[in-house]
Amino acid sequence: MSFLKSTQQPPQTSDKSEGINYAHSIFEAKQLCWQVGEIKILKDLNFTISANQFIGVIGPNGAGKSSLLRCLFGKNQITKGSLTFNQKEVSSYSRKTLAQEIGVVLQEPPTHFDMSVFDLVSMGLIPRQSLLSFSTQTDRDSVEQAISDVGLLAKIQMPFNTLSGGEKQRVMLARAIVQKTQVLILDEPTNHLDIQHQIEVLHLVKAMNITVLLSIHDLNMAAAFCDQIILMDKGKIIQQGDCETVLNTKNLKQVFKVNANIDSHPFHSGQRISYNFSHRTDSEIIELEELKRQKASNLGIEHD
Amino acid sequence: MISRFSLIAILSILFLLVTLILATGVGSVALSPGQVFDSLLVCTSDNASCSVDPVYQRIVWEIRLPRILMALLTGAGLSITGAILQSVTRNPLADPYLFGISSGAALGAVIVIAAVSGAGVSITLGALAGGIFSVVLMLTLAGSAAVQVERLLLSGVAVSFMLSSFTGLIIYYSEPDTASRLLFWMMGSFSNSQWQALLLPLLTTSIGLFLFIVYRKWISAIQAGDEGAFTLGVPVSQLRLSMLVIGSIITAVLVAQVGGIGFVGLMIPHICRYLVGSQLHQVLFMCVVIGGSFMIWVDVLARSILNEHILPVGIVTSAIGSLFFFIVLKANRTR
Repeated sequence: MSFLKSTQQPPQTSDKSEGINYAHSIFEAKQLCWQVGEIKILKDLNFTISANQFIGVIGPNGAGKSSLLRCLFGKNQITKGSLTFNQKEVSSYSRKTLAQEIGVVLQEPPTHFDMSVFDLVSMGLIPRQSLLSFSTQTDRDSVEQAISDVGLLAKIQMPFNTLSGGEKQRVMLARAIVQKTQVLILDEPTNHLDIQHQIEVLHLVKAMNITVLLSIHDLNMAAAFCDQIILMDKGKIIQQGDCETVLNTKNLKQVFKVNANIDSHPFHSGQRISYNFSHRTDSEIIELEELKRQKASNLGIEHD
Repeated sequence: MISRFSLIAILSILFLLVTLILATGVGSVALSPGQVFDSLLVCTSDNASCSVDPVYQRIVWEIRLPRILMALLTGAGLSITGAILQSVTRNPLADPYLFGISSGAALGAVIVIAAVSGAGVSITLGALAGGIFSVVLMLTLAGSAAVQVERLLLSGVAVSFMLSSFTGLIIYYSEPDTASRLLFWMMGSFSNSQWQALLLPLLTTSIGLFLFIVYRKWISAIQAGDEGAFTLGVPVSQLRLSMLVIGSIITAVLVAQVGGIGFVGLMIPHICRYLVGSQLHQVLFMCVVIGGSFMIWVDVLARSILNEHILPVGIVTSAIGSLFFFIVLKANRTR
């Protein structure tokens, strides 16, 4: 299905006061390192992220996906190398400016105190509002629109804590929509969601038509929705490229330690990945095949 | 159509006004609401139509009114501080005494009572110094760990116990009279409230309230999670520390004036949230009105339950407050 792959759009232009230059590449990392104390979490990463691409960051648990995403929105301050956002170091931006340009949906949605869906989504207005201003009718309309976009208009006044996991995730997405940023970063947005809501959330994100970076575990989802994949393992980028390039049996074997079969998907133009669920290693599998063969030939002899 | 919040706000303001008039009438000399009303509004400037005895007028203006306003300020100040601390620490059990302020104030007071009472230093000043000292000590001990809520809370608990042990030590080695004076002070009382004593609490509480309202959106964002607030451009650690310091100053000033009155700062914010929802400026408004009214009624009870004897406000607050809170919890469960 063609709608799953985005069409390249011309870079946006803006006249904002901090002089942000919207060139083709949004993020650029050179020799990026990030460490906590003595432990190196991200090691010498080099990558470029182009405008209006839908980029999936994949890799096993502990590969550094979340750490990398946190560097991009300035939560993790890189310890070595450089990381630029629109040609300027991420660390040189004020927090407010970054919040106006980069929206984030995190893994753990808030759980304390009763906040209504409307209140929570309204927070997306904070980066563009002055402290003293009260919300205008236009603000309230945009909040309602975002809530309606994610299909939760009926629950607009409900306490956030009473929603299901999928609904909570959609509320957080609505907050990011209200933020009206040029980049959206999502940390495992499809976790805890059933298949229907996984597809729904990814379609919503795709429809925003902005630069999207998300970490994701489901490789078939990644193949269906992403324009590009960054494959990570042990704090390093193993490969970056389009799905066909990165998602191959060799890479999956090396990084995820699984035997996979990759063919074309029956429902869309992307790939389909099927896994061998057996726990056996390659050599064990070969040994087993050999044994089967011998058994069969022995049986054949007996029959003779 | 009038919104739920407006309706509740109007009703609670009316309740506060009625409270003010009725509470001013209660005491050893009982005054009718009419007399109170006349003394407050009609007899202010040599008015010919004034029918109230000048003695009653003096009772209203010089004794009752400052006391009632002090109760109002205390209830309001502790409630808004509690609401903000609960939000920025995301801890529903947070209250204004979270960081050992009451322990610090008690230590300051006991030092003044036991050691330097002859040197012209008032208990109030000692308690204020002690309260502020406890916050400074807590922030110093927490150091760079103060950016994490959990560590901040634990540092507060540690400081609280540390200062309590000093207070205990001093009481242990002091005269029984000192101990009983301190005990009475710690249980809270509005009996020393005079007009000039109102100035500092009024200033700190209103400046604090103004700042809380200005930063309400950022505070709500922190309430929904530190990392989420960060992604919205909120300077999380700095804001949290500033709010803690502002809340601590309000609390220290109030505790120094009226002693340790617990439970108001913990309970009233929850009641207000039940009533009006989670919008912070609405919660703060309700905290002022309901916290203030509640404290005034507690004081009325404290001075009228026993004949010729005034109960410490702290005891009445905790007793009435916990009962009230149970009722609210039950009503909320069945809603």
